[in-house]
Amino acid sequence: MNRALQVFDDILQTLPGTENPTPLVRLNRTGSTDAFPLWAKLEWFNPFGSVKDRAASFMIRELEKKGVLNGKRGVVEPTSGNTGLSLAAICAARGYPMRAIVPNKIPLEKKVLLKIAGAYLDVVNDELCPSPSGGDGSINMAKTYAKAQADRWVLPNQYENEANVLAHYHGTGPEIWNQTEGRVTHLFVSLGTCGTVTGCSRFLKERNPKVKVVAVQPTEGHDVPGLRNLGQLEVSKLFDPALIDDVLEVDFELAYERAAEIARKEGLLAGPSSGLILEGARRIVQRDAAGVGVLIFPDNVFKYVSNMSKHLPELLEGTSA
Amino acid sequence: MSGYAHPEVLVSTDWVQENLGKPGIKLIEVDVDTKAYEAGHIPGAVGFNWQTQLQDGVRRDILGKEEFETLLSQSGVSNGDTIVLYGDNNNWFAAYAFWLFKMYGHKDVRLMNGGRVKWLNENDKQMTADVTKVSPTRYTASAPDLSLRARIQDVLGALDAKNTNLVDVRSPDEFTGKVIAPPGMSETAQRGGHIPGAKSVPWATAVAPDGTFKSVEELKAIYLQNAGVDGGKPTIAYCRIGERSSHTWFALKYLLGLENVRNYDGSWTEYGSMVGLPIEK
Repeated sequence: MNRALQVFDDILQTLPGTENPTPLVRLNRTGSTDAFPLWAKLEWFNPFGSVKDRAASFMIRELEKKGVLNGKRGVVEPTSGNTGLSLAAICAARGYPMRAIVPNKIPLEKKVLLKIAGAYLDVVNDELCPSPSGGDGSINMAKTYAKAQADRWVLPNQYENEANVLAHYHGTGPEIWNQTEGRVTHLFVSLGTCGTVTGCSRFLKERNPKVKVVAVQPTEGHDVPGLRNLGQLEVSKLFDPALIDDVLEVDFELAYERAAEIARKEGLLAGPSSGLILEGARRIVQRDAAGVGVLIFPDNVFKYVSNMSKHLPELLEGTSA
Repeated sequence: MSGYAHPEVLVSTDWVQENLGKPGIKLIEVDVDTKAYEAGHIPGAVGFNWQTQLQDGVRRDILGKEEFETLLSQSGVSNGDTIVLYGDNNNWFAAYAFWLFKMYGHKDVRLMNGGRVKWLNENDKQMTADVTKVSPTRYTASAPDLSLRARIQDVLGALDAKNTNLVDVRSPDEFTGKVIAPPGMSETAQRGGHIPGAKSVPWATAVAPDGTFKSVEELKAIYLQNAGVDGGKPTIAYCRIGERSSHTWFALKYLLGLENVRNYDGSWTEYGSMVGLPIEK
């Protein structure tokens, strides 16, 4: 491996860390002010395309330390796509099987990508009819494999796995601190498993207790893959409200509008969750007036062409002869 | 469980654990997600596929008597066995199978309280993907007890006579006609709404946070006091295709002990597609 020349022995060596941070790019035309610049942390520079590479690699490393993975025994994981893709690619590089359990509503792109990366794919209907305890269909299906076929499948479970938090405590958080030279005052994140918010917040608040952590959540009934609003967070054991200063609720349709705006004004091809986070950050710029904001942009827009087209139908106009 | 009108039809996950593998006790898993059984099930359980094994293969109807006999014979069930049914979504289709077993006269059939998810999340309970070995039997069913089933003419008769409680167990959005079916469901109807005069009590209202049925006092408050179900009158429960309403049918008939409760398995996919019938939104 030669990091200066970007020569690596395998793809996993390209995973980020303080020696190899993902880029932090200033937003110049979508909401920064002189007194409150906004910086986007581009997590799609992870090798498999999203912030989830961090949690996935930490979880796999932990399972490898325990010696439970091999060519016949792999991982099964409930995922809205990104964690699954990260796990599938890491497993492919290591020679482990991978089974992804996904909700039916995730974009077709993600389902096909999982298969391209060699994962077994199980699609479940998560929203048949509200049930007080039926729980999350994909989580229950993954638990079933891990329980009934323990000789074949291990469940990392990103919703409960502390390694998901440590990936950000040791990676994303210190990277942000270094890249802003300690000047960060606001961190803007979305909520899913809550590994990002819990790990980053824990680190940054240790360094500077005044850092404000702002979680931006979509309105109920949303259609932003990978995100959960507070009503859906019961499933995540990593959610720690004490580490979050503000929770903003943003109309989920704005996620799509802002994602297009980021692409058109910044040249950053960010996905809809990044759009949601930008909208939240703008509101705080108005409120707090001064600061240095860091926005976690979880992934890019390539996997969301069908979702973007659904929510911004004008994108389909003039696309055929 | 004390206080239920028929506590013998409900067993706990611990009871199932203690009775695993005992002769005369047969476990049957029936899920909405027909892939779930294959992924893992309680050791010794056989799996029924509601789409291919619990319905008539040609016309829209419940499984015929002979097909029911064949299914149970091939599954190694004897007439004297204790049947314990369980499944996903808090026993939706397990309750539907329970209703079928009762219609065809099986004496001892029970539901595992809390269903598949409760077993799955209890650390002392095992699951397996091993194929369950069965020894075929010669099962004989009774003629179907049609007093447990409501057909469209029964529903129309109830509308005319105004002497029957109609309980709509679907989600509020289905009841008001905002949606015709929950997202992702292929069975649907021509129109949205509900049967005039039906009371909306979503099936999950009967379920506690751990997936088990609520206490008899809570169930009385929900159905009799709050929803205004008159225990002295006949009751018809319906949903979209008759599986969620089987769950409520079970609660009304066996836990509350109402005398005359029918499951309308045609449900909204039939009623909401009929020409000229009255609909409320």
